[in-house]
Amino acid sequence: MTTEKPKMKFDNKKTTDILKKADELGFSKDDLIEIYSTMIKIRLFEEMADHLYAMGKVHGTMHLSAGQEGVAVGTGLVMRPEDYLLNHHRGHGHLIANGADVNKMMAEFLGKQTGYCRGRGGSMHIADVEANNLGANGIVGGGIELAAGVGLAIQMQNQERIVLVIFGDGAANEGIFHESLNMAAIWDLPVVYLCENNQYGMSADVSRVSSKVPFRGRAEAHGIPGYYIDGNDVLAVYEYMKQAIDHARSRKGPVFVEAQTYRYFGHSKSDRNLYRTKEEISEWRAKGPITRFEELLMKADMMTDQDIERIKKDMTRIIDEAVEFAENSPEPDVNNVTEWVYA
Amino acid sequence: MPTPFIMPKMDMDQESVTINEWLKKEGDPVKKGEPLVVIETDKITSEVEAPATGRLAGIIYRENVDVPVSEVVAYILGEDETESDLPERTEPETDTRVNQEDKDKVEKSTLKTEKTATAVAQRMAEAEGINLQDIPASGEKITKEDVEKYLGGLEGVEPRVQTPATPAARRIGHEKNLDLTRVEGSGPRSRVQAADVQSVSGQTPGLGETLALSNMRKRIAERLTTSYQTTPHIYLTTEVDMREAEASRKRMNELANQDSTPAISMTAFITRIVAWSLKRHPYLNASFQNNEIRFWEEINIGIATALDDGLIVPVIRNADQMTAKEINNTLRDLTRRARSGDLSLDEIQNGTFTISNLGMYGIQSFTAIINPPQSAILAVGTLTRRPVVVDDADTLEIRPMMMLTLGADHRIVDGAVAAEFLADIVKALETPELLLF
Amino acid sequence: MPEITYRQAIHDAMVEEMRRDDKVFLIGEDIGTYGGAFGVSAGMLEEFGPDRIRETPISEQAIVGAAAGAAMVGMRPIAEMMFMDFILLAMEPLVNQAAKARYMFGGKATVPMVVRMPSGSGTGAAAQHSQSLETILMHIPGIKVVAPSTPYDAKGLLLSSIRDPNPVCFVEHKLLYKAKGEVPEGEYTIPLGVADIKRSGTDITVVSSQIMVHKTLAAAEKLQDEGISVEVVDPRTMRPLDVDTIAKSVKKTGRLLVVHEAVKTAGWAGEVMASISETPAWDYLDTPMRRLTGKDVPIPYNPNLEAAAVPQEDDILREIRAIVNNTY
Repeated sequence: MTTEKPKMKFDNKKTTDILKKADELGFSKDDLIEIYSTMIKIRLFEEMADHLYAMGKVHGTMHLSAGQEGVAVGTGLVMRPEDYLLNHHRGHGHLIANGADVNKMMAEFLGKQTGYCRGRGGSMHIADVEANNLGANGIVGGGIELAAGVGLAIQMQNQERIVLVIFGDGAANEGIFHESLNMAAIWDLPVVYLCENNQYGMSADVSRVSSKVPFRGRAEAHGIPGYYIDGNDVLAVYEYMKQAIDHARSRKGPVFVEAQTYRYFGHSKSDRNLYRTKEEISEWRAKGPITRFEELLMKADMMTDQDIERIKKDMTRIIDEAVEFAENSPEPDVNNVTEWVYA
Repeated sequence: MPTPFIMPKMDMDQESVTINEWLKKEGDPVKKGEPLVVIETDKITSEVEAPATGRLAGIIYRENVDVPVSEVVAYILGEDETESDLPERTEPETDTRVNQEDKDKVEKSTLKTEKTATAVAQRMAEAEGINLQDIPASGEKITKEDVEKYLGGLEGVEPRVQTPATPAARRIGHEKNLDLTRVEGSGPRSRVQAADVQSVSGQTPGLGETLALSNMRKRIAERLTTSYQTTPHIYLTTEVDMREAEASRKRMNELANQDSTPAISMTAFITRIVAWSLKRHPYLNASFQNNEIRFWEEINIGIATALDDGLIVPVIRNADQMTAKEINNTLRDLTRRARSGDLSLDEIQNGTFTISNLGMYGIQSFTAIINPPQSAILAVGTLTRRPVVVDDADTLEIRPMMMLTLGADHRIVDGAVAAEFLADIVKALETPELLLF
Repeated sequence: MPEITYRQAIHDAMVEEMRRDDKVFLIGEDIGTYGGAFGVSAGMLEEFGPDRIRETPISEQAIVGAAAGAAMVGMRPIAEMMFMDFILLAMEPLVNQAAKARYMFGGKATVPMVVRMPSGSGTGAAAQHSQSLETILMHIPGIKVVAPSTPYDAKGLLLSSIRDPNPVCFVEHKLLYKAKGEVPEGEYTIPLGVADIKRSGTDITVVSSQIMVHKTLAAAEKLQDEGISVEVVDPRTMRPLDVDTIAKSVKKTGRLLVVHEAVKTAGWAGEVMASISETPAWDYLDTPMRRLTGKDVPIPYNPNLEAAAVPQEDDILREIRAIVNNTY
């Protein structure tokens, strides 16, 4: 096994002409600004989460997704409210892209009663079952096993929904990955498997611990169509996720998409980033999803510096309000600690 | 406003970090993202970056100190800012500053000095599975004898409860007020079984039955629980040389004999003296109520009396105005009627102080629970003839000694106040003439 | 009253409930044409079709994971593990997902699923196919554990388990599948968390489960002639355990013996005994609480060794006599 990283070609074409692409995908200028704003919202949210953690206000740890906004927003645009989402522990971005309430998210980080999980789940386990968000999962691959079941339930109840399960490159090496893909394939379940490949498990370089990359080969081995795309090209993400989700929704069976991206923060708050260099991180930052999209919009005269300022200001305000909400929220009642174990 | 440079929390359990090295000096220009300081946690050494561009100023924590996380360690001055813009600094407490040298010193002194042992001792310890370091050495080295002694000690562990008995046997024994050490155990290793206790006199509830609380026991339970939980009890114990008291009582009884009145009991005698002392120490005849101290108008002393199935406290009203003879007669009457259940309500109400005497059971001393809303209770023990030192020349004599334990409500009775009250009782018991004086 | 087998009772419970509620489906290995490894689902494929008698690849983790996922979104799956031993492959979705979803999500998720599994030794299936692992499952907050000993209990309890909104582990005993018992016609349920006094007595309380109930009852018959009156308490539900019924019995008899096939160390006999010391019944104990359990050994293959590894009727007789005669 060589330590050289293999050069892999994306299935998608790089977005260079934003007007053309927007036209193709049916996006108006406002839509594009909205996409940009959501990515900014996620980035600012993650930076605030990092700040709160450094202030000692957050118990436990956090897994921040700064750098992966393209995958989150591109995918979130395709999802319908009735579609189910199964997320992983680095899921703040996906939650926000799917319309989660940042107030309740912040409150959950601070362990408050008003959080999504009444303070009992924390960052890694945020769920909003009524909104068909079946939870972020602290077990790597935890959502993958549930996804086949959700897909099965959709099929048995004859519904027009899909279940999207998002996991990382690390999860693709769990045994359950194959069990689930196998099951979804034999029964044509409406499951879309999205692998967010950010190059590293916790500290392990994906090419060092995976027998063959890109992972779409593994999906194809199960007879499932697989795609390998540039996750930092938000419109490309949208394009391919739409294809995948439409495919599953029209009962043609499961689909696998691997989106290449990169995370700027360490795996968790205990990560000192010893397994990668500062240069590598800077390199990726320079071609990150927000930077690229911003450049495209500016080049096409769709956005000015003032617009960017305004958007950042607006999003900062929303997030500051969320922090205020969370800090002013009450703690859960200790006397209720054993409540909600059983239905 | 200068930007505060805050020490971040970087790990789940981390409370503080040590600053190893400042990479910039005060006054140096810094750029946002540039490493400013090298820090060390127990896992790793790392750099922390500047949060803003400007000039470094106002360093609060220097090198080789422990910094709690989330603390401001320095400031970055903006373009137009100067040192005078820095906020008022409170010097961090000196005891948070740990010198590396001191750290090393502390670590060394906590290292135990390893004891050496003879080869035989080592083998023995290993065979028995004990840690050599746990064995006290009689000399410089741990010897075979030391190990043997230590092992012998493990065997002879004193059990807390002397008589093995089953829970059922204990329960029945307790209800019947039996001393289990006096019961023959038929179980293995002489364990007392329920059947053994059943056969010891009395109607007992059968195994498996439940005894409902009688109303009396319910009341006792409620009152004592309240008292125990809400009243902070302070306890004082003292020893009394009862020689003079006994002599005095004997002479009184000669008088009673001539009078054809019943002999004065020791309880009545003590009650008279307690009443006298209460008069002189009103805090012991008071009650804590709603953050006020209510001093009772009367001195009504209750005498705890055991019944078959509980406890009752008939009250001797205005005991300070009665003679020992009067107290004695009243007490006898009340006790008799208590046992036959003929006490009226006002004979058990309005007590202001209680005396409990377990001397007749051979009890040396005991602590009693105050009867609310009173503020004190006196527990009287048995008379034991013992040798005591009676004068400055260390002369030893056999005297009848008795222990008194006063329980008082510490909310209104301080130690000194209680001590004085008790001291007066002791004085009066040891010199009964005091009441005439 | 008609007599049917334990196997038939479980089969009937599933069939009746699947007819009543179309959200219920069975998922597991070889449950279709083969009729299930122990024949429990024979004939169900014909009645309900391949969607609702969902045969799977050999993927225990995916089977229980899929059951959990489906349960979260409106279905009521019954997952079948071929042997209780294989639940170990599926512990992750059972313990980390199904058991915790409701709590972790602040009470906003429900996972109404049943995992059925045959446990126990005596068929010569040896170490990896004969375990009694209910203790491990009892340790997990968020799931319930049921272990019936008779056809009557099995049917009523399985119906309640399927209808329960929580994940329920339904532990069957291999040797009991052919045991016959009276089962009324018509629908009836038995609530979870309620123990059953299988035999009334006054001299000693014996708590036993599954096949040990039958061995204990046989021993009790014999002991009757020796003047020893044995009360047999079958917990039926292991979690939540009906400590009250056991405590009442112990208070009456003053003696406790717990008999289970599961291994001794950290076996649930300890749970029963600790629970009793937490009740007033403890004050009525007249002998030390004792347990008679499987030995700390993987189940051996040789039939004599296999029998020696778990309690038998003779062992139960011996233990009860020893306790009643104050030997301990």
